[in-house]
Amino acid sequence: MPSRPELTSLVCGLLVALFGVVLLLDATGTLDLRFAALAPLACVLVGATLLASGLTRRG
Amino acid sequence: MSARPAPVLRRDPAHRVLGGVCAGIARQVGVDPLVVRIAFVAAAFAGGLGFVLYAVAWVLIPADGEARAARVPRLAGRGAVEVALGVGLLVLALLLTFRALGLWLTDGVVWPVVLVAAGGALLWRESVGRPPQPEEPEPRPERPAAVVSRTGLGVALVIGAGVAFLGATNALSGARDVVLSVLVVALVLVIVFAPWILRLARSLAAERSERIRSEERAELAAHLHDSVLQTLALVQQRAGDPRAVAALARRQERELRAWLAQRPGTEATHLAAALEAAAVEVERDHGVPVEVVVVGDAELDERSRALAAAAREAMVNAAKFGGGSAVDVFAEVLDHEVQVYVRDRGPGFELAGVPEDRRGVRESILGRMARHGGRAAVHSAPGQGTEVELAVPR
Repeated sequence: MPSRPELTSLVCGLLVALFGVVLLLDATGTLDLRFAALAPLACVLVGATLLASGLTRRG
Repeated sequence: MSARPAPVLRRDPAHRVLGGVCAGIARQVGVDPLVVRIAFVAAAFAGGLGFVLYAVAWVLIPADGEARAARVPRLAGRGAVEVALGVGLLVLALLLTFRALGLWLTDGVVWPVVLVAAGGALLWRESVGRPPQPEEPEPRPERPAAVVSRTGLGVALVIGAGVAFLGATNALSGARDVVLSVLVVALVLVIVFAPWILRLARSLAAERSERIRSEERAELAAHLHDSVLQTLALVQQRAGDPRAVAALARRQERELRAWLAQRPGTEATHLAAALEAAAVEVERDHGVPVEVVVVGDAELDERSRALAAAAREAMVNAAKFGGGSAVDVFAEVLDHEVQVYVRDRGPGFELAGVPEDRRGVRESILGRMARHGGRAAVHSAPGQGTEVELAVPR
């Protein structure tokens, strides 16, 4: 039986991948990534991971 | 009487425009929903903050009805901390995005508002608590330290917000020197006087404990005098009548066991009944007629119970030392106090001439009334009978 993916790992992985895409776009010059844009992204990454981790502990 | 459950904030879908957030808040605080809607719309024009607050409230506040409430996950311990941090960081990300996009008032306004909202939410949660959910086991009691630390964090956030706002608007510049001076002086005073204050507090606590113990000992002594010692005196008087002695012993044993077990027994619940019962006992034990007149009546509380006990002791003294004359008891229940007078026409006595080891008048009457906030006076003179005046406030 295939194992069910863990929500925390899934969210964290997706967000890290998204973060990588953003950094790639910045490197290619498509995006101009500054601290004002990077800070919310970092907050979203950590916040969504924590939220997913916390919700999986419910019960 | 059980306390009413604290009101719980819920969305009101029955009167909704969008999600019922404004209607629920209006119902909770008792204002017209239009007022709350106007506030949200105004906040929405102020950098879009109203939209954010509404969305957060829509997600976090459960709607009316058990089906919605049952879906609220139960979070505790580390899970709750992670969810709270996660939501906080997402809101922070949203705010930073708005700031970067220029949809922003000023740092001096928004950040204090955010801090006040976070601190207020923590304090609100601690004061109101979470409603019990159906089909959930009884939650474990929280450690007091956790509750105190959350409340402290909430207070710190709100105070920090106020200080940040005042600092951003330069309102603190004039007061800074004064506050610093006051803080330094307060710190010095605390360091200097802390040992004395601590010692004084400990001394007061020890004195209070000793006073409580002393009053308990006095109550115990008064009760033993009124019951056991008097029964033993009766036993001596009736030593020639084995049946009477056995009956006295049985009655005293029952009374003492009930008192030790703190059972209410068949005690009267009202003052008039208590005085009547005491009069019957005194008549039976001492063979002296006791006339009781009570004007008004009152349910017995701790004070009036002590009053009845002191009146009983006065009746016993009148029966024992009144030379066989009838004992008159007059009680009156007034608006502000309850008064009892016990009178005999016996030979009378001088209170100063009563030996120190006789506890009847001093402890069972005078001391007992003083301990319960009442007053007692003995009016007597040789050859003129005795009147004991008792009163306790209502």
